[in-house]
Amino acid sequence: IFFGKRKKMKNLTLVVMLLCYSFASSSGDSTIHTNNWAVLVCTSRFWFNYRHMANTLSLYRTVKRLGIPDERIILMLADDMACNSRNQYPAQVDYRGYEVTVENFLRVLTGRHENAVPRSKRLLSDEGSHILLYMTGHGGDEFLKFQDAEELQSHDLADAELLIMVDTCQAATLFNQLQSPGVLAIGSSLKGENSYSHHLDSDIGVSVVDRFTYYTLAFFERLNIYDNASLNRSYDPRQLMSTAYYRTDLYQPHLSEVPVTNFFGSVMETIHTDSAYHAFSSRISNSKIKSDTPFNQPFNQLSEQDVKEDLQNTNNQNDELKTEKQKCPYSEMRADLHEKLKKIENVDTMVNLSIAVMILVVMVSSSLL
Amino acid sequence: MEETSDHPNPTTDTPGTTPEPDLKTMRSSKPGLKRLLITTTVLFSFLSGLPFLWKSVEIYRSQLPFHDIDSLSDQVKSAPLRFPCTFHAVFVGFGSNDPDQLRSEIQDGVNQLTGESSQCGSCNVSISVTVQSPDELCSETFPSTCSYRCGVIKRDSFGRGLDDAVDESLDDVFSGCSGGIGKMYSVVVVNKENGDEVKAVVGKRRHAWIVGSGLEERFGEVVGRVSEVFVKVFMNGGREEGDSIRGEFMPVGSDGRLVLSFSLLNSNPRDWIYDWDFQRIDEALLAPVTKALAPIANISVESQVLYHTPKSSFSSWDEKLQSYIFRTSDLPFFVNSNEWHLDTSAGASGRSKILQFVVYIPSGKECPLHLQLPNEEISKTNGFISPMWGGVIVWNPRSCDKDSESPSTNTISPQDLEKIVEVFLGQFRQLFGFKSEATYTRELGSYKILPSERGFTKWELDVLSRKHTCFNLHSCATTLGSLSRLVQSLPRMIIKDEIGEQVKYSLKAAKLAQSNASLGGYSSSASSSREARSLAENAFFHPSIMSVSYFSYEHCFAVYSPFFLPVAGHVVLAALREWRRYKQEKAKYLTWLTRKQAA
Repeated sequence: IFFGKRKKMKNLTLVVMLLCYSFASSSGDSTIHTNNWAVLVCTSRFWFNYRHMANTLSLYRTVKRLGIPDERIILMLADDMACNSRNQYPAQVDYRGYEVTVENFLRVLTGRHENAVPRSKRLLSDEGSHILLYMTGHGGDEFLKFQDAEELQSHDLADAELLIMVDTCQAATLFNQLQSPGVLAIGSSLKGENSYSHHLDSDIGVSVVDRFTYYTLAFFERLNIYDNASLNRSYDPRQLMSTAYYRTDLYQPHLSEVPVTNFFGSVMETIHTDSAYHAFSSRISNSKIKSDTPFNQPFNQLSEQDVKEDLQNTNNQNDELKTEKQKCPYSEMRADLHEKLKKIENVDTMVNLSIAVMILVVMVSSSLL
Repeated sequence: MEETSDHPNPTTDTPGTTPEPDLKTMRSSKPGLKRLLITTTVLFSFLSGLPFLWKSVEIYRSQLPFHDIDSLSDQVKSAPLRFPCTFHAVFVGFGSNDPDQLRSEIQDGVNQLTGESSQCGSCNVSISVTVQSPDELCSETFPSTCSYRCGVIKRDSFGRGLDDAVDESLDDVFSGCSGGIGKMYSVVVVNKENGDEVKAVVGKRRHAWIVGSGLEERFGEVVGRVSEVFVKVFMNGGREEGDSIRGEFMPVGSDGRLVLSFSLLNSNPRDWIYDWDFQRIDEALLAPVTKALAPIANISVESQVLYHTPKSSFSSWDEKLQSYIFRTSDLPFFVNSNEWHLDTSAGASGRSKILQFVVYIPSGKECPLHLQLPNEEISKTNGFISPMWGGVIVWNPRSCDKDSESPSTNTISPQDLEKIVEVFLGQFRQLFGFKSEATYTRELGSYKILPSERGFTKWELDVLSRKHTCFNLHSCATTLGSLSRLVQSLPRMIIKDEIGEQVKYSLKAAKLAQSNASLGGYSSSASSSREARSLAENAFFHPSIMSVSYFSYEHCFAVYSPFFLPVAGHVVLAALREWRRYKQEKAKYLTWLTRKQAA
């Protein structure tokens, strides 16, 4: 397990770099916002994780309603509830069941697919895209569990204009390793906190939605496509029973200036076509007319709607309410040990040292026998 | 430990003899080397096998030419690519002007307009001037690049008739000119005796002309207009943004392909159904455009007809205009992505760019539907574009009366189709950064630009080729640079041969593009640069670079240590032990010898 973890850390360093380089040419402050993409991932299967599937599917419905079309949504569900005939909102699921793996997820994000992968399974974003990445499932300190078999660690995406929302336990730790600019991250809980489910449905028998997602969706239900609301909304920690965490240091514009439609919803920059190109009529007509007919204003260039600033208080990162920690001495000791281990800077030398110690132990023990 | 020493002979009893030889400290025979040899041989064979083991677990990495990649990046960044262009000005009917002086004046004007910065895609200009006096004597600057036969352009009869005919005749006049290197652009200024107003027209090929009377007096203005034509029209293509190469108006996919997807949307088929003969317009009207743009992008065309496709924005009835109005503020919400399933292309591969062109036929409840501009006027085209996405044209049926019976199925008439294609061509030009209309206005005056059946005039295609060459080379250099940095930073990642080949060919194509550019072949450099970019993207996005399980040192160790560590431990220890034993036995033998000698 030890080696597995190390390997995965290196894997994800690789992914960070791949992504950095993939999108290297795309980061420019003058690129216009052309379209929005959404990647919605649910990483846990089985019936008792119904609420994770429900989180993802409700967000899928919201995102569609606000204007992002199916072609620009990549939906990865680890279990097939969307295609159940009892479901009211059938979804177009791109990756389902056992196709939801860390490898496929990373392939979607880095764009390195095999040649035969159809367009609907690819993230075809360009330089002007804004991408919403929503992940839900079981997670922990700096990792997210994929289908009980793999982990996605916090060395993660690096892209221009990316909004990551994660609804798992200790979600904020997944953003610890982000470094590139242009990433805005929202997590449902801090390190050491759990994210809780909202309510139980007695018919189904399991919880149906998580709190963070529930309050987020409640916010979006009140919006429509013409709205100008900004992303700066506060989550009440008492209702969430955890502290929602915003990581905004990598994203340039202030959160209250970012309209929700930047990531949720469809946006098109439009330019009016002033005149037709008379390639064919010039063959017939007399073209000796002087060219001073008044023509319309050139390039009715429309930018996105002007954002009116929402004057909401920014008390997102309040730390008044901490979750209850167990007062058990064993866990405190473990926590202390963990703290100490975290302080060690150079993990590599320690690993190499311990390998050397192991060799010595092997030699000594085999010589004694 | 077995002892093979002999027992010492107890019978020899000499006075003062040695006591019984102690077996633990002496031996009478030389110790053998066999044991030591065996163990050290085994150890040695282990050690000698190590390099073979190392080689067999080596990561296969194909060698990438890092140095070449770096030099390409440096070249692209430091020396922006410039193309050789020749400008030729012919002044007809000017008596008293010296061609060399004219040339320097035009050069000054050009320099002033281009500014100090040399951006990628701009021209390395060489100017030549010919002056034809009213009595048909010519003088020209030296060296003469063009064999303009003096007197071919007649002062009085020039400019009469249709502009198209004038353009054709000019083409014949200059057809003998090969120009030095690069293409030659020419401006003919004709000073008529009596007169008309000044008229400036830019033709479909590479010629422009300015006709008027009394031009000799307004000489400075004439020179200014000539420089304007050279720089703003021929060099920059009439585009406003001359400086940065923005990807916003370069809708070519990274594999060099572009798919034009045409859709006819019947928003409510219960009112009326329209169909179109797309095959005809594809063959007749779109094929020349596709062919003209071949060096820049490999274009393919698809079409479909959709039904039940309402739009998602709203429109209101305007009594004065007697039609339904939608405004420019509604445009971003016009495209109803949920119901318009446009992206059903089967022919587009992963990295091609798709441009959607939609002809929207409104339903009976919103007929006729017109677009109102912010200045209260009604749009003439009823269309708009979204950069990098495509364009929409709203086409109203002839009559908005619904038949009481079942919905009528109609075909759009060829004349209407032609008009629609004209609007589409305007939109297509807009998507590439040009203007959709055929006039160009500057401070000194306006120029009429003749439209070409191929959607773009020859000089516009030149501008496109130059800009796209720049963009493609820049993108190729960036991608290759990222790839080389990535590969160098992860020394244990496998690099397949295919990637190495693609990088090699990409560099070759990039060099070819640069050399073609310096020789003045615009379209050949555009196609080579397109190939370079496509190969670089293929290499960078190769699926094998995404191997989630590449071989780290820990992995190697974890796999091989259960095999080798226990055995190696034992072998080494055995050798050491034998060595120690040998030394002990040797010491024992030596003590016995000394004892024997002492005795």
